[in-house]
Amino acid sequence: MSAQGDCEFLVRRARELVGQDLWAAKAWLITARSLYPADFNIQYEMYSLERNAERTSSAGRLLYDIFVNFPEQPVVWREISVITSALRNDSQDKQTQFLRGLFETLPGRIQCEMLLKATEQCFNTLERAEMLLLLLRRFPESVAQHGVGLGESLLEAENIEDQESPVNCYRKLFVCDVLPLIINNLDVRLPAALLYKYLNKAAEFYINYVTRSTQVESQYQGAQDTPALLSPSKRSSQRYIIEGLTEKSSHIADPWERVFKILSVVGVRCEWQVDTSRRSFGDILLKMKDVCRYIGNYDNEAHTKYKTQVIYSTMLVFFKNAFQYVSSIQPSLFQGPNAANQIPLVLLENVSNVYGDTDTDRSKHVHKKRKLAEGREKTMSSDDEDPSGKGRSRLITIHAADLLNSVEVLESFRLARESWELLHSLDSLDKEFTRICVSWKTDTWLWLRIFLTDMIIYQGQYKKAIASLHHLAALQGSHSQQQIPGQGSLENQRALIQLAACHFALGEYRFACEKVLDLMCYMVLPIQEGTKLQEEQPKLKSKFRKVSELKLWPCTSTAVMPYCLRLLLACFKLRAFTDNRDDMALGHVIVLLQHEWPRGENLFLKAINKICQQGNFQYENFFNYVTNIDMLEEFAYLRTQEGGKIHLELLPNQGMLIKTSSPPLGFLQQEFIPVPQPSIQTADRHHTVTRGITKGVKEDFRLAMERQVSRCGESLMMVLHRFCINEKILLLQTLA
Amino acid sequence: MSDIRLSLLRRDALSAAKEVLYHLDIFFSSQLQSVPLPIVDKGPVELLEEFVFQVPKERGSPAKRLNSLQELQLLEIMCNYFQEQSKDSVRQIIFSSLFSPQGNKADDCRMTLLGKLVSMAVAVCRVPVLECAASWLQRTPTVYCVRLAQALVDDYCSLVPGSIQTLKQIFSASPRFCCQFITSVTMLYDMSSDDLIPPPDLLEMVVSWIFEDPRLILITFLNTPIAASLPIGFLELTPLSGLIRWCVKAPLAYKRKKPALANGHPNGKLAKSSAPASDQDCQPLYSKLHLSVLQVLMLLQGHLTEKNLYGRLGLVPFDHVVSLVDEISRLSDELNPLNASQEVELALDRLAQALQVAMAAGTFLCTREDLRTVCSRLPHNNLLQLVISGPVQQPAHAALPPGFYSPIHTPPLGYPTHAAHPAIPAHPALPAHPVQTFIPGMAFPYRPIH
Repeated sequence: MSAQGDCEFLVRRARELVGQDLWAAKAWLITARSLYPADFNIQYEMYSLERNAERTSSAGRLLYDIFVNFPEQPVVWREISVITSALRNDSQDKQTQFLRGLFETLPGRIQCEMLLKATEQCFNTLERAEMLLLLLRRFPESVAQHGVGLGESLLEAENIEDQESPVNCYRKLFVCDVLPLIINNLDVRLPAALLYKYLNKAAEFYINYVTRSTQVESQYQGAQDTPALLSPSKRSSQRYIIEGLTEKSSHIADPWERVFKILSVVGVRCEWQVDTSRRSFGDILLKMKDVCRYIGNYDNEAHTKYKTQVIYSTMLVFFKNAFQYVSSIQPSLFQGPNAANQIPLVLLENVSNVYGDTDTDRSKHVHKKRKLAEGREKTMSSDDEDPSGKGRSRLITIHAADLLNSVEVLESFRLARESWELLHSLDSLDKEFTRICVSWKTDTWLWLRIFLTDMIIYQGQYKKAIASLHHLAALQGSHSQQQIPGQGSLENQRALIQLAACHFALGEYRFACEKVLDLMCYMVLPIQEGTKLQEEQPKLKSKFRKVSELKLWPCTSTAVMPYCLRLLLACFKLRAFTDNRDDMALGHVIVLLQHEWPRGENLFLKAINKICQQGNFQYENFFNYVTNIDMLEEFAYLRTQEGGKIHLELLPNQGMLIKTSSPPLGFLQQEFIPVPQPSIQTADRHHTVTRGITKGVKEDFRLAMERQVSRCGESLMMVLHRFCINEKILLLQTLA
Repeated sequence: MSDIRLSLLRRDALSAAKEVLYHLDIFFSSQLQSVPLPIVDKGPVELLEEFVFQVPKERGSPAKRLNSLQELQLLEIMCNYFQEQSKDSVRQIIFSSLFSPQGNKADDCRMTLLGKLVSMAVAVCRVPVLECAASWLQRTPTVYCVRLAQALVDDYCSLVPGSIQTLKQIFSASPRFCCQFITSVTMLYDMSSDDLIPPPDLLEMVVSWIFEDPRLILITFLNTPIAASLPIGFLELTPLSGLIRWCVKAPLAYKRKKPALANGHPNGKLAKSSAPASDQDCQPLYSKLHLSVLQVLMLLQGHLTEKNLYGRLGLVPFDHVVSLVDEISRLSDELNPLNASQEVELALDRLAQALQVAMAAGTFLCTREDLRTVCSRLPHNNLLQLVISGPVQQPAHAALPPGFYSPIHTPPLGYPTHAAHPAIPAHPALPAHPVQTFIPGMAFPYRPIH
């Protein structure tokens, strides 16, 4: 018999026995091995027997033997790759767990060799990296040898693969898995420049990870199983998978904490001035301001060191707090469609004083009023001021019910603003920070734009704010395209809302009005009327001169619609109460004053007064949009003897009977807006002319009045909404 | 001694027994302080015979006999004594004085009382007594050891059903005793007749012990200084050859067993509670045991190499193998070969496996040539043929010393030697540490006192 034949005989006998007498089968194999210790098949058979029975320790012992004695056997290689892939696997199934346990029974030296050899066999960078990571985690002493190389190969792979987003599998492995091993290993000494580069990569990764847009998630969910979308419970689970990684590996807990930890470790290793760990953000910022103060005194090397410290520390405080702020005011950006229970907010100038009869307070002279208005335009904008806007602290109010942690949110807003100011306080910082921002393409970050815009609005630089808002609108456009259609339409119009407010603040009423009217398309009706704007007439107003100038409004139709109506009123108010007669503007004001009635009662009376002075009043839309019973009564009274027999032309086309030189028409003709002009439509004119002559006018008015009274129950918001939509052109013309 | 005797004579039996232990304790303790290995001379032994075993000193005087209650009390006194004496050396010498066979008429009484004492120690788990008994088993001729084993088997396997569980638990209390006990029972039950087939309960217990920790078999070997030649007439250092006999002979012995007796085992009915139901159920136990034996042999290889004893210490002695081969060939002749071909095949397979692995482990010292001669009378068996011929020579594997399996983690520490049970000759006479060094030519220090 040949040795080969003997071995085959022995293995065969063992196999035959496995089914009936496992002990005997093993006894045969032990004997066989003692006869032929160099035969691979015998030992592999022994191993298979234990492995299939999932007996961890005996299988481990046998695996050790075959790994040591037969390192060249392809079967061994296959087995090692199966085991090492089980190590990388998240799966909890029995087989995987057994394989992991099997690996654990091996002595460290063998584990190390096995992983290294398995690594050699990997041609895929990702797999190779994961394998090496297993090695580095288990054997810290191998970090010095392989750590940096692995890190660099991941960064290289990221470049070669042309990864679009910094949140990719290579970067994740580098930042979350390799980097902590490298920087926490005292045997690894790296030049500061390299550490800064790594810090930069880490910061970019974590910021992008935290602020990753939600559509990736929903796409994933959609692709995986459509029924998941139907079940709300499934949708609320935050699932996010970085391509190439498992779900478990894609999930990063406490990303901010991690990035600040890296900052602190890098700081210690680069011998920065103060350790930033375990400090509050406010504290870090204060320290950085301190460092900044003396930064000019250092020589080149130290200067660079402390500059870098200031930049990265402040920058992280900035991004963290800006994120905190934006995620509070527009949670859906980061949490996906399930953020429904949190109300989005939008930062706007307060316009609660719109009903105030300010003009009469100020002056009775028209030209003076104008001047004031102009003056106001100037004072409201600080575009020309020092951009850092130092010392300008404005009060922002939030209604407690809209945001539970309002204090923290405002603190985040403050910290972010101050960090931003610090980063721009010195040329060298500004340059470096800008360079980083450019390389990170922060320009394309919608959430950051939202913050920056709010910051600029806060600083009162409305012209800049408008530019920023256009940028925001563009970003939002590209953003919302990818989003599920029809969802949260209004919160995506924050740019439009803020544009309206900024134009208004600049005195650009026509633009303001235009934006407001554009917004009307996004309102979700019906809006219940009773819901008042939560802001209250502060009773302390007289005592404290400083009124809140800015407010975080709920970004909902219920809150925004009233705000818009106030803005419109504010736009038309000035024009309506000039000495120049402008019935159209006055009419609009009257329509708008119905809103929140009777808060605008004084203004309404002032309007009536003006009409009385004029002796007549023409507003053909009156019966379309005025349903307020008090107003109707007042107008009905005006026509009576006692009311002064005011000549009212409130029915459509009635105005044609009066002089053709009435201001509204004049405007129309000037503007060349292609609206069907009554004067051109000869047939109509004929009709109206005859109707006017037939004295039916009086009767028409009475009928119209009666009809209006019956419309009293109609939803005022619907009426005003219709007013804004239908009369858009007219409204804009009025402000031209 | 004589004044002690006089004072004891005035006492009643139990207090005299207590007193004699007390006096001898003092006597040996003081001796141990000056002489590392005190000689136990006649005086103390005679005192013990007279006052513990109640053997009258004067010829013709009537033998005092204790009643059962008194005997129980005496056992309790002894148990308590060993429990309370914290010095192992003193315990050992007292135990030895009490129970070493003297070749006189007191020996019967001695053995009976020893059986009862150990049985009691098992029941109430008195570790010091068990440890002393383990040492006693090591330095007492096999014939006496077998009697102790028989007493325990009677008590725990036959008398009360289910009581085997009590014995089974000794495993964790005194592994050393278990090891020696296994060696004794393999001597007792050599399968030479139907009566000498181990009772199922006993078999089951031994297999479960060994399977739980195969190193149990080696504990005596690992804790004993090794003499070049093993003393004859004493228990072997390991139960290996006895266990091999069990496994190899079992298929044939059970086959030979008279069918009438298969169910009518004298104690079969009593011991049925936890016992395997029939002989058929015993076969897998032998298979399991056989595997354990092979595994222990492989373990042994490492230990032998470590102690530089590889190929020098026949723990599976050649003459045992010769007689085993004899027994097998007789048995297979006895059985109708046509009827029992499977059993013969299995027995020879196991024999071949055990011999091969023991040879490879360097503890069955025999050339393949001699093996051929020894096995020439056996029926043909493929595996045995293969083992006798040896492996077909091929270039040796470079990384592998033939048949050597190194431990993968830490070097083996043998069985945990705990301080409570120091290596057997924890006798002051011997250097305390190099317990495991091989001292060629040095005789085993503990001789029974004749």
